Amino acid sequence: MFDIDYGLDGAIICKGRLDAAQCEKAQEFMDAVAEAKTLDFSELEYISSAGLGVLLKTQKRLAAGGAGLKIINVNNHIKDVFRYSGFNAIFDIEA
Amino acid sequence: MELEIVRRIDSLKDIYEFIEAFFESNGTADPVRYPVHFVVEELFTNMVKYNPGNMNTVLLDIDTDGDGVKVMITDYDVDDFDVTRKRDVDIHAPLEERKVGGLGLHLVRHMVDKLDYHYEDRRSRITFTKGPG
Repeated sequence: MFDIDYGLDGAIICKGRLDAAQCEKAQEFMDAVAEAKTLDFSELEYISSAGLGVLLKTQKRLAAGGAGLKIINVNNHIKDVFRYSGFNAIFDIEA
Repeated sequence: MELEIVRRIDSLKDIYEFIEAFFESNGTADPVRYPVHFVVEELFTNMVKYNPGNMNTVLLDIDTDGDGVKVMITDYDVDDFDVTRKRDVDIHAPLEERKVGGLGLHLVRHMVDKLDYHYEDRRSRITFTKGPG
């Protein structure tokens, strides 16, 4: 189960498990993002390398226009995945 | 516990439920759970992606290993592909040089305690262990 939508404060709320079976849904949503945004991961339990691909593709596209993604409320497991991937150097990540 | 998995990405839901049922019945420690889900997904999705014409099911076997777990994934009628081989992944590359994809097996190596690969008679068998430490 994975869900992605805008919250009341304009942040993008990700919920559940972002695995390879859910990437198309996530990518479709992120492809419509055209400016700097905050991703709230407080309810995201899990992300796989396929999910990392969605984030990276979006970050590269936004960075080309001088914008980027900020990711907040990341659980410890996902923090480990980001660290092993070097994502903490290419995303603005806030615990 | 064994699960015969239909070779398609949508099977990830069945895999998740199977592994969770094992964790619940064995009281598996929390630090073990995420890495096991992660590694099984990476290995299984690779099998699906790189052998699209193969109609064989994949066999997933999970068992306790001390305080942790031992997982075995067997794939039939496939080419030799050693998942334990070190991949050249530059995790320090700047954003503009990053390519989408290619991180999966690099991450797998970080997530497990031990990773083994055995290939014989066109059958590949990947075994990994993960403990709570």
